[in-house]
Amino acid sequence: MGAEVITVSTDTQFVHLAWQRHEKELAAVKYPMGSDPTGNLARMFGVYDDTSGLALRGTFIINPEGILMNSEVNFYNMGRNIDELMRKYKANLYLAKKTDEGCPSKWQDEGDKTLKPSPDMVGRVHEALND
Amino acid sequence: MSDCQETRLKLGHPVPDFEIDTYDPAVNNFGKISLEGQKSAGKWTILFFYPADFTFV
Repeated sequence: MGAEVITVSTDTQFVHLAWQRHEKELAAVKYPMGSDPTGNLARMFGVYDDTSGLALRGTFIINPEGILMNSEVNFYNMGRNIDELMRKYKANLYLAKKTDEGCPSKWQDEGDKTLKPSPDMVGRVHEALND
Repeated sequence: MSDCQETRLKLGHPVPDFEIDTYDPAVNNFGKISLEGQKSAGKWTILFFYPADFTFV
């Protein structure tokens, strides 16, 4: 996929190992599991919850230059949509090459319609998306 | 003061370097990952925070 996905919680790497070996749902997991027992990394990204000592469900995409390109945070009780995360990652890869274009909400993959902001498009986004 | 601190990082701005310990199931071993290492390797990084092991992610 070209990106390093790192899952992170405030558990240690030893607990990660125990969980990954025990939980059958994780048998196929190939991502490095990061440990942030101090919560410092979670604090840096603004997802550390002082009342629980846990990290909220935050997802962050960082480009190869170290620039933060996407952020999304869900509360404890809501899971994330991995398809949407992959869509955002693919859009980031595409937009890194095509810096004058924009990926609209329904963009899924290369070849799908993009937008090029211009005076002609002002007030005519519907036509740009559908013509 | 809210329970969760406001993030100081902003979209389009550099993320300060960090390094964390890891368990990597792909190689069945412990290791370290740093943002500097990711940048040197020319790789994108996706950080996926979740509350706790042994719960749903």
